[in-house]
Amino acid sequence: MSKEVVLDCLGEACPIPLVKSEKALEKMEVGDILIVQIDHSCAMKNVPEWARKQGHEVELEEIDDGEWECIIEKMK
Amino acid sequence: MTEGITRTSSRASARGGSRRKKKNQIPIALIIFVVIAGIGVWLGFKGENLLLYWVFGLAFGFILQRSRFCFTASMRDPYLTNSTSVTRAVLIAFAITSIGFTAIKYGYFANGLAIPGQSYIAAISIATCVGALMFGIGMVIAGGCASGTLMRIGEGFWMQVIALFFFVVGSLWGAHDFGWWKRTFILGGAKVFMPDYLGWFGGLLANLLIIAVIYVIAHKWENRGSNELSH
Repeated sequence: MSKEVVLDCLGEACPIPLVKSEKALEKMEVGDILIVQIDHSCAMKNVPEWARKQGHEVELEEIDDGEWECIIEKMK
Repeated sequence: MTEGITRTSSRASARGGSRRKKKNQIPIALIIFVVIAGIGVWLGFKGENLLLYWVFGLAFGFILQRSRFCFTASMRDPYLTNSTSVTRAVLIAFAITSIGFTAIKYGYFANGLAIPGQSYIAAISIATCVGALMFGIGMVIAGGCASGTLMRIGEGFWMQVIALFFFVVGSLWGAHDFGWWKRTFILGGAKVFMPDYLGWFGGLLANLLIIAVIYVIAHKWENRGSNELSH
Protein backbone atom coordinates (compact mmCIF):
# COMPACT_ATOMS: atom_id res chain seq x y z
CA MET A 1 0.00 0.00 0.00
CA SER A 2 1.56 3.23 -1.08
CA LYS A 3 1.40 6.11 1.31
CA GLU A 4 1.05 9.81 0.84
CA VAL A 5 3.08 12.49 2.53
CA VAL A 6 2.12 16.15 2.66
CA LEU A 7 5.01 18.54 3.08
CA ASP A 8 3.99 22.01 4.20
CA CYS A 9 6.45 24.52 2.78
CA LEU A 10 4.11 27.52 2.78
CA GLY A 11 6.05 30.64 3.67
CA GLU A 12 9.39 28.96 3.03
CA ALA A 13 11.72 30.72 0.65
CA CYS A 14 13.65 29.02 -2.06
CA PRO A 15 15.62 26.69 -1.73
CA ILE A 16 14.14 25.34 1.53
CA PRO A 17 11.20 23.57 -0.20
CA LEU A 18 13.62 21.81 -2.51
CA VAL A 19 15.91 20.66 0.30
CA LYS A 20 12.95 19.51 2.39
CA SER A 21 11.45 17.62 -0.56
CA GLU A 22 14.78 15.94 -1.20
CA LYS A 23 14.98 14.77 2.42
CA ALA A 24 11.35 13.67 2.59
CA LEU A 25 11.59 11.73 -0.65
CA GLU A 26 14.72 9.94 0.54
CA LYS A 27 12.78 8.39 3.41
CA MET A 28 9.92 7.24 1.18
CA GLU A 29 9.49 4.12 -0.88
CA VAL A 30 8.88 3.64 -4.59
CA GLY A 31 5.25 4.31 -5.44
CA ASP A 32 4.72 6.70 -2.51
CA ILE A 33 3.39 10.14 -3.21
CA LEU A 34 4.83 13.38 -1.86
CA ILE A 35 2.72 16.52 -1.97
CA VAL A 36 4.77 19.66 -1.50
CA GLN A 37 2.79 22.79 -0.73
CA ILE A 38 4.63 25.89 -1.87
CA ASP A 39 3.93 29.60 -2.19
CA HIS A 40 7.35 30.83 -3.26
CA SER A 41 7.24 31.26 -7.01
CA CYS A 42 10.84 30.19 -7.44
CA ALA A 43 10.26 26.85 -5.70
CA MET A 44 7.39 26.20 -8.06
CA LYS A 45 9.95 26.10 -10.84
CA ASN A 46 12.87 24.30 -9.27
CA VAL A 47 11.06 21.60 -7.25
CA PRO A 48 9.25 20.10 -10.29
CA GLU A 49 12.33 20.51 -12.46
CA TRP A 50 14.52 18.72 -9.94
CA ALA A 51 12.00 15.91 -9.36
CA ARG A 52 11.53 15.30 -13.09
CA LYS A 53 15.25 15.13 -13.58
CA GLN A 54 15.44 12.54 -10.84
CA GLY A 55 12.99 10.50 -12.90
CA HIS A 56 9.86 10.91 -10.77
CA GLU A 57 6.34 11.58 -11.96
CA VAL A 58 5.46 15.20 -11.28
CA GLU A 59 2.27 17.19 -11.42
CA LEU A 60 1.91 20.84 -10.52
CA GLU A 61 -1.36 22.34 -9.50
CA GLU A 62 -2.20 25.90 -8.56
CA ILE A 63 -4.63 25.43 -5.70
CA ASP A 64 -5.03 29.11 -4.88
CA ASP A 65 -3.64 32.42 -6.12
CA GLY A 66 0.07 32.04 -5.59
CA GLU A 67 -0.16 28.68 -3.86
CA TRP A 68 0.87 25.47 -5.52
CA GLU A 69 0.93 21.80 -4.80
CA CYS A 70 3.69 19.84 -6.39
CA ILE A 71 2.67 16.18 -6.49
CA ILE A 72 5.62 13.86 -6.81
CA GLU A 73 5.30 10.12 -7.26
CA LYS A 74 8.51 8.39 -6.32
CA MET A 75 9.53 6.22 -9.24
CA LYS A 76 12.84 4.81 -8.07
CA MET B 1 10.49 24.81 13.66
CA THR B 2 8.13 21.91 13.11
CA GLU B 3 8.91 19.12 10.69
CA GLY B 4 5.88 20.03 8.62
CA ILE B 5 5.18 16.45 7.63
CA THR B 6 1.78 14.91 8.17
CA ARG B 7 0.76 11.52 6.93
CA THR B 8 -2.65 10.88 5.51
CA SER B 9 -4.21 7.69 4.34
CA SER B 10 -5.86 8.65 1.09
CA ARG B 11 -5.12 11.05 -1.70
CA ALA B 12 -8.54 12.64 -1.76
CA SER B 13 -8.43 13.81 1.83
CA ALA B 14 -5.11 15.54 1.43
CA ARG B 15 -6.14 17.62 -1.52
CA GLY B 16 -9.89 17.80 -1.43
CA GLY B 17 -10.19 20.36 1.33
CA SER B 18 -7.47 22.65 0.11
CA ARG B 19 -9.12 23.81 -3.09
CA ARG B 20 -10.64 27.23 -2.64
CA LYS B 21 -12.41 29.34 -5.16
CA LYS B 22 -10.00 31.76 -6.75
CA LYS B 23 -10.74 35.44 -6.57
CA ASN B 24 -11.28 37.27 -9.80
CA GLN B 25 -8.20 39.43 -10.29
CA ILE B 26 -9.33 41.30 -13.39
CA PRO B 27 -10.83 44.35 -11.59
CA ILE B 28 -7.71 44.93 -9.50
CA ALA B 29 -5.56 44.43 -12.60
CA LEU B 30 -7.55 47.13 -14.41
CA ILE B 31 -7.20 49.52 -11.47
CA ILE B 32 -3.45 48.94 -11.31
CA PHE B 33 -3.15 49.38 -15.07
CA VAL B 34 -4.93 52.74 -14.89
CA VAL B 35 -2.68 53.84 -11.98
CA ILE B 36 0.44 52.75 -13.88
CA ALA B 37 -0.69 54.58 -17.00
CA GLY B 38 -1.56 57.66 -14.90
CA ILE B 39 1.87 57.73 -13.29
CA GLY B 40 3.37 57.24 -16.76
CA VAL B 41 1.56 60.29 -18.13
CA TRP B 42 2.59 62.34 -15.08
CA LEU B 43 6.23 61.28 -15.50
CA GLY B 44 6.03 62.04 -19.20
CA PHE B 45 5.13 65.65 -18.42
CA LYS B 46 7.95 65.90 -15.85
CA GLY B 47 10.32 65.01 -18.69
CA GLU B 48 13.96 63.97 -18.46
CA ASN B 49 13.52 60.39 -19.66
CA LEU B 50 11.52 59.55 -16.52
CA LEU B 51 8.79 57.90 -18.58
CA LEU B 52 11.41 55.73 -20.27
CA TYR B 53 12.81 54.59 -16.91
CA TRP B 54 9.30 53.85 -15.70
CA VAL B 55 8.48 51.69 -18.72
CA PHE B 56 11.81 49.85 -18.61
CA GLY B 57 11.46 49.22 -14.88
CA LEU B 58 7.96 47.83 -15.27
CA ALA B 59 8.95 45.70 -18.24
CA PHE B 60 11.97 44.33 -16.39
CA GLY B 61 9.89 43.44 -13.34
CA PHE B 62 7.20 41.83 -15.46
CA ILE B 63 9.65 39.69 -17.41
CA LEU B 64 11.50 38.76 -14.21
CA GLN B 65 8.28 37.58 -12.59
CA ARG B 66 6.74 35.77 -15.54
CA SER B 67 9.92 34.00 -16.56
CA ARG B 68 10.79 32.97 -12.97
CA PHE B 69 14.18 34.41 -13.73
CA CYS B 70 16.32 34.27 -10.63
CA PHE B 71 19.96 35.27 -10.37
CA THR B 72 20.18 33.50 -7.02
CA ALA B 73 19.00 30.21 -8.51
CA SER B 74 21.46 30.61 -11.37
CA MET B 75 24.33 30.48 -8.90
CA ARG B 76 22.80 28.13 -6.34
CA ASP B 77 21.08 25.37 -8.32
CA PRO B 78 24.25 24.04 -9.95
CA TYR B 79 25.43 23.08 -6.45
CA LEU B 80 22.07 22.00 -5.13
CA THR B 81 20.55 20.03 -7.99
CA ASN B 82 23.15 20.16 -10.80
CA SER B 83 20.57 22.11 -12.77
CA THR B 84 22.10 24.87 -14.86
CA SER B 85 19.09 25.90 -16.93
CA VAL B 86 18.77 29.25 -15.11
CA THR B 87 22.56 29.68 -15.15
CA ARG B 88 22.55 29.34 -18.93
CA ALA B 89 19.62 31.73 -19.22
CA VAL B 90 21.64 34.33 -17.29
CA LEU B 91 24.64 33.71 -19.54
CA ILE B 92 22.51 34.27 -22.64
CA ALA B 93 21.22 37.49 -21.07
CA PHE B 94 24.83 38.58 -20.45
CA ALA B 95 25.73 37.81 -24.05
CA ILE B 96 22.82 39.86 -25.40
CA THR B 97 23.64 42.70 -22.99
CA SER B 98 27.31 42.64 -24.06
CA ILE B 99 26.33 43.11 -27.68
CA GLY B 100 23.83 45.81 -26.71
CA PHE B 101 26.10 47.95 -24.57
CA THR B 102 29.04 47.55 -26.92
CA ALA B 103 26.82 48.84 -29.72
CA ILE B 104 25.71 51.83 -27.62
CA LYS B 105 29.23 52.67 -26.46
CA TYR B 106 30.68 52.23 -29.94
CA GLY B 107 27.92 54.41 -31.38
CA TYR B 108 28.94 57.28 -29.10
CA PHE B 109 32.64 56.65 -29.72
CA ALA B 110 32.23 56.56 -33.51
CA ASN B 111 30.41 59.89 -33.42
CA GLY B 112 33.17 61.44 -31.35
CA LEU B 113 30.97 61.79 -28.25
CA ALA B 114 31.86 60.91 -24.66
CA ILE B 115 31.25 57.21 -24.10
CA PRO B 116 28.39 56.80 -21.58
CA GLY B 117 28.63 54.60 -18.51
CA GLN B 118 32.42 54.60 -18.29
CA SER B 119 32.25 55.49 -14.58
CA TYR B 120 30.77 52.03 -13.98
CA ILE B 121 34.01 50.33 -14.92
CA ALA B 122 35.12 49.44 -11.44
CA ALA B 123 38.54 48.29 -10.33
CA ILE B 124 38.79 44.54 -9.91
CA SER B 125 40.83 42.99 -7.15
CA ILE B 126 40.60 40.32 -4.49
CA ALA B 127 37.96 42.56 -2.89
CA THR B 128 35.69 41.76 -5.85
CA CYS B 129 35.97 38.04 -5.13
CA VAL B 130 35.44 38.42 -1.39
CA GLY B 131 32.46 40.70 -1.96
CA ALA B 132 30.96 38.36 -4.53
CA LEU B 133 31.26 35.40 -2.15
CA MET B 134 29.62 37.35 0.68
CA PHE B 135 26.83 38.55 -1.59
CA GLY B 136 26.32 34.98 -2.76
CA ILE B 137 25.97 33.63 0.77
CA GLY B 138 23.61 36.46 1.64
CA MET B 139 21.33 36.04 -1.35
CA VAL B 140 20.95 32.29 -0.87
CA ILE B 141 19.96 32.77 2.78
CA ALA B 142 17.65 35.68 1.96
CA GLY B 143 16.05 33.78 -0.91
CA GLY B 144 16.75 36.40 -3.52
CA CYS B 145 19.20 38.94 -4.84
CA ALA B 146 18.19 42.60 -5.13
CA SER B 147 15.84 42.32 -8.10
CA GLY B 148 14.52 38.93 -6.97
CA THR B 149 13.70 40.26 -3.51
CA LEU B 150 11.79 43.22 -4.94
CA MET B 151 9.96 41.01 -7.41
CA ARG B 152 8.84 38.57 -4.69
CA ILE B 153 7.60 41.35 -2.45
CA GLY B 154 5.50 42.43 -5.41
CA GLU B 155 4.19 38.88 -5.62
CA GLY B 156 3.12 39.10 -1.98
CA PHE B 157 5.75 36.95 -0.34
CA TRP B 158 6.02 38.84 2.92
CA MET B 159 9.05 37.10 4.38
CA GLN B 160 11.09 38.82 1.71
CA VAL B 161 10.23 42.21 3.27
CA ILE B 162 12.60 41.28 6.10
CA ALA B 163 15.30 40.64 3.51
CA LEU B 164 14.58 44.01 1.87
CA PHE B 165 14.73 45.83 5.21
CA PHE B 166 18.17 44.46 6.02
CA PHE B 167 19.24 44.93 2.43
CA VAL B 168 18.49 48.64 2.84
CA VAL B 169 20.21 48.74 6.24
CA GLY B 170 23.27 46.98 4.85
CA SER B 171 23.39 49.21 1.78
CA LEU B 172 23.20 52.37 3.90
CA TRP B 173 25.93 51.09 6.20
CA GLY B 174 28.03 50.13 3.18
CA ALA B 175 27.50 53.54 1.58
CA HIS B 176 28.41 55.25 4.87
CA ASP B 177 31.83 53.56 5.02
CA PHE B 178 32.36 53.19 1.31
CA GLY B 179 35.05 55.88 1.15
CA TRP B 180 37.26 53.91 3.51
CA TRP B 181 36.69 50.61 1.70
CA LYS B 182 37.44 52.29 -1.61
CA ARG B 183 40.69 53.87 -0.42
CA THR B 184 41.88 50.79 1.43
CA PHE B 185 40.95 47.90 -0.84
CA ILE B 186 39.31 48.84 -4.10
CA LEU B 187 41.54 51.49 -5.64
CA GLY B 188 44.52 49.12 -5.69
CA GLY B 189 42.86 47.01 -8.38
CA ALA B 190 43.07 47.38 -12.11
CA LYS B 191 40.34 48.95 -14.22
CA VAL B 192 39.79 46.92 -17.34
CA PHE B 193 37.81 48.16 -20.30
CA MET B 194 38.33 45.45 -22.89
CA PRO B 195 38.07 47.65 -26.02
CA ASP B 196 41.14 49.54 -24.71
CA TYR B 197 43.15 46.34 -24.93
CA LEU B 198 41.58 44.32 -27.72
CA GLY B 199 39.75 46.88 -29.79
CA TRP B 200 35.98 47.19 -30.01
CA PHE B 201 35.39 44.03 -31.99
CA GLY B 202 38.07 42.02 -30.16
CA GLY B 203 36.74 43.08 -26.78
CA LEU B 204 33.22 42.02 -27.66
CA LEU B 205 34.47 38.76 -29.15
CA ALA B 206 36.56 37.99 -26.05
CA ASN B 207 33.56 38.71 -23.84
CA LEU B 208 31.29 36.45 -25.89
CA LEU B 209 33.93 33.71 -26.00
CA ILE B 210 34.28 33.73 -22.21
CA ILE B 211 30.50 33.51 -21.88
CA ALA B 212 30.38 30.67 -24.43
CA VAL B 213 33.04 28.72 -22.53
CA ILE B 214 31.12 29.10 -19.26
CA TYR B 215 27.96 28.06 -21.10
CA VAL B 216 29.58 24.86 -22.33
CA ILE B 217 30.92 24.12 -18.85
CA ALA B 218 27.44 24.73 -17.39
CA HIS B 219 25.91 22.37 -19.93
CA LYS B 220 28.49 19.68 -19.15
CA TRP B 221 27.94 20.21 -15.41
CA GLU B 222 24.23 19.52 -15.75
CA ASN B 223 24.74 16.35 -17.81
CA ARG B 224 27.44 15.17 -15.45
CA GLY B 225 24.75 14.90 -12.79
CA SER B 226 22.42 12.79 -14.91
CA ASN B 227 25.21 10.48 -16.01
CA GLU B 228 26.07 9.73 -12.41
CA LEU B 229 22.45 8.91 -11.69
CA SER B 230 22.03 6.55 -14.61
CA HIS B 231 25.02 4.42 -13.64
